[in-house]
Amino acid sequence: MSPTHSGSLEEFVPASQTELSRFMTENAATSHNQIFPVGGRTSLSVCCPSSQSGTLVCTSKLSRVIDYPVRDMTITVEAGMQLDQLNEIVSAEGQRLPIDVPQSNRATLGGVIATNACGPRRFSYGTIRDYVIGISAIDGTGNLFKSGGRVVKNVAGYDLGKMLVGSLGTLAVISQVSLNLRPKPETMSLVWFAFDSCQDADRALEAIITSGTRPTAVEYCNSKAARQIAAESRSELPSEHQVICVCYEGPANVVNWQTDRIREEWKEFSPLSSQIVETENATRLYHAFTEYQTSSDDPVTLKAVVLPSQMMKFVEAATRFDIAVQAHAADGIVYGHLPDSASSLEDVKQILNQLQKEISPQIGHLTVYQCESEWAESLPLFCTAPSGWSLMQQLKNALDPGHLLSSQRFSELVEA
Amino acid sequence: MVDSTNQTITQETPLLDKLTAGSPPFTALVQQLTQIVGQTSILYDADELLVYECDGYIVDKAAPDIVIFPISTEQVSAIVKICNQFNVPFLARGAGTSLSGGCLPIGGGVMIVLTKMKSILEINLRDRYAIVEPGMVNLHLTNALKGTGYHYAPDPSSQGSCTIGGNIATNSGGPHTLKYGVTTNHVLGLEAVLPDGTIIELGGPTAETPGYDLHGLYVGNEGTFGICTKAIVRLTRDPEAHRTMLAVFQTIADATRAISTIIAAGIIPSALEMMDHGIIQAVEEAFHFGFPLDAGAVLLIEVDGLEIALDEEVRQILEICESCNVREIQRADTPEERQLIWKSRKQAFGAIGRLSPSYCTQDGVVPRTRLPEILDFIQETEKRYDIRIVNVFHAGDGNVHPILLFDERDQEQIQKVLEASEAILEKCLELGGSVTGEHGIGVEKINFMSRIFNETDLATMETVRNIFNPRQICSRDKVLPPHQADEKSGVVQSHPARRAPH
Repeated sequence: MSPTHSGSLEEFVPASQTELSRFMTENAATSHNQIFPVGGRTSLSVCCPSSQSGTLVCTSKLSRVIDYPVRDMTITVEAGMQLDQLNEIVSAEGQRLPIDVPQSNRATLGGVIATNACGPRRFSYGTIRDYVIGISAIDGTGNLFKSGGRVVKNVAGYDLGKMLVGSLGTLAVISQVSLNLRPKPETMSLVWFAFDSCQDADRALEAIITSGTRPTAVEYCNSKAARQIAAESRSELPSEHQVICVCYEGPANVVNWQTDRIREEWKEFSPLSSQIVETENATRLYHAFTEYQTSSDDPVTLKAVVLPSQMMKFVEAATRFDIAVQAHAADGIVYGHLPDSASSLEDVKQILNQLQKEISPQIGHLTVYQCESEWAESLPLFCTAPSGWSLMQQLKNALDPGHLLSSQRFSELVEA
Repeated sequence: MVDSTNQTITQETPLLDKLTAGSPPFTALVQQLTQIVGQTSILYDADELLVYECDGYIVDKAAPDIVIFPISTEQVSAIVKICNQFNVPFLARGAGTSLSGGCLPIGGGVMIVLTKMKSILEINLRDRYAIVEPGMVNLHLTNALKGTGYHYAPDPSSQGSCTIGGNIATNSGGPHTLKYGVTTNHVLGLEAVLPDGTIIELGGPTAETPGYDLHGLYVGNEGTFGICTKAIVRLTRDPEAHRTMLAVFQTIADATRAISTIIAAGIIPSALEMMDHGIIQAVEEAFHFGFPLDAGAVLLIEVDGLEIALDEEVRQILEICESCNVREIQRADTPEERQLIWKSRKQAFGAIGRLSPSYCTQDGVVPRTRLPEILDFIQETEKRYDIRIVNVFHAGDGNVHPILLFDERDQEQIQKVLEASEAILEKCLELGGSVTGEHGIGVEKINFMSRIFNETDLATMETVRNIFNPRQICSRDKVLPPHQADEKSGVVQSHPARRAPH
């Protein structure tokens, strides 16, 4: 989604972290402009609503490798490095950063950290928070600070990296990051299953916890999403039914054993059909699953995080609103693209209100993941205040006392 | 002395320097705390307090003035509020296994021991989490999960006694962190009593929660952000099978080469532990596992996963070990044999008692390819300071644990231990590593902080700490070094020796 800006935005492209720090210091002291850190600009509608004025701080020139000790399986890079660029470098050594990020040819590491982007593989590999071993960032007053280091195990000092993961550019501009890497698996295959009823699909999902196999990802999509993913990936994914797609990675013999085994195990849940997808077809289908959460042109994409055991209840409700639903099912993370029929802000708010009722208070969350830029300021990013909200406000005030970093967005995160 | 009753406490009010037993504020404090927990859950006789004067880091000692054992979050909150009212510092303690003085009550005050809060509140397998109280012993959680197909992954060597609350404070690791990660990777959320007595919840049982990752920030705070009273932890699927082996090498250099070659080959063992010559001898003397006494190093290597995958991984590991001049390999083919091998590793610390009356375990980290250099340096240090140092550690992570042997009755030896530790940790930094991989800064390594981090880094950390703990009333003088100005204002150092020389 690429919003058109009605506000007045200047652009600053620092060539070094020091230059960035100097700029931020001066800004805090004199011009007090709003700062919007941007990387690949793939999540602008979340972080930078269109009507605002200020300065886009673009990290595109901060993309150097600082240190890559290959046999230690760690790498330190500047935050403007694109994901694909990073994976190309480490892939040559048989390594990878196992985080799925939509538009990874544009998305930068700083952006991935700030938005806590992730995809199907989070079930087995976790999220970016599990790979950041060191971080440098510049706060609202221009202070360049770091935490962690370059070794895989380190508990010296507070873990400020965790604080910045998912902070949406509201606390500091991330400038450099050290990451833990993993070996690249030999192969990947997928098995999809079509289900007629939500009950059967849910029973199958429940059986994942006792399966003899060890999936790396478990994706769910309703028929509307399945049709779009099938078209995108040019695969034979069934388009009239809901689909669960289970992913395996590892040595070929181990992957093959598991794809056969899961089909055997799931016979008892009466899938309408199932198919193993291998090699390039698997890569293409997997890619479509990764991209789907941001691929839509629909006006609003919502994200719900619920307990896996309560997910199908939410999915059923969303499907009733004609929402195209994809879910990282074993983690209870649901993305829903609202239909074109939700054409006014009122329609959207009404749907959000209805869906909010499907989520147990305190143990589930509904958030607006992407939306038309002109609606961004009218839709709270978090539909209810998260726990620890008052501490979050204090943290914001402490690191960005002048409220210069994507601040209007932060104050709008929760509807007053 | 501060009169507790009618005083308005502000953020600027200095903490009470000394709480004299029998003084009016002391008596009033004891009386009010007793009302919360009852007479059987509070200690204040000097003799009874001795047990609490140190944790696993025995070099430094300071007894609390009062020790109290709450049974609920509400009690912890009430205790903390009273401590605030009396302006008395307090800190939490679990099993007291910290190896860096994390539970050392600097300046005395109230020690809140959480060992009575040890229940499992919920186990949810479908959603893969458990909710436990902070005093829950790490191993007891895994025991409770036996037979379910799930376990709690972080397993510090002290897991038989250390508590989940303590693990969260320290962000504990353990032998299996190489593959499964440390505590912070397994904490989904928590409840805590903030240093002003407020009860807060951070994170939750779902895979993620909106807003800043405050529970991630909280893990590893070493008790300085308040007292964790409930933890929501992720449960991990049991591996279908294990393959455990002991590889005996003639030299440390061969063993460390094997380690980085195994990992470079794309194999992430679930554990990769090293024991050096000195520890092999102690373990052998104590338990008779049959280790060759002249071996330079033994590697405990474990891979886990699906049965079908393991034989190939083992074949590759054996091939790599062969290419690194392995002398012999013992394989554990039965669960009993596996248990025996792990016993040799986990009881290594127990065996040290045969070598020396006291020991200090260090906790440095280097990039794993720099292990040969740090181990050489440790050998040199042993000679230079004329003290004995043995090594048993998490080699796969580059996390060394040199164990410095001494007699705590001999002040000269204590000084040598401090200086040798300092030299080793300094070398870890020089090699691009860290001074602590899993034990924490505590009081022990506080002087290193300004060598690892610059003033801006430390100021930012302090800003963050001040959001949780502005007056430092909770677990004072831990993690961050005091300002020069504060030092002059008279923060009482409990033990001059804990200040390692620069």
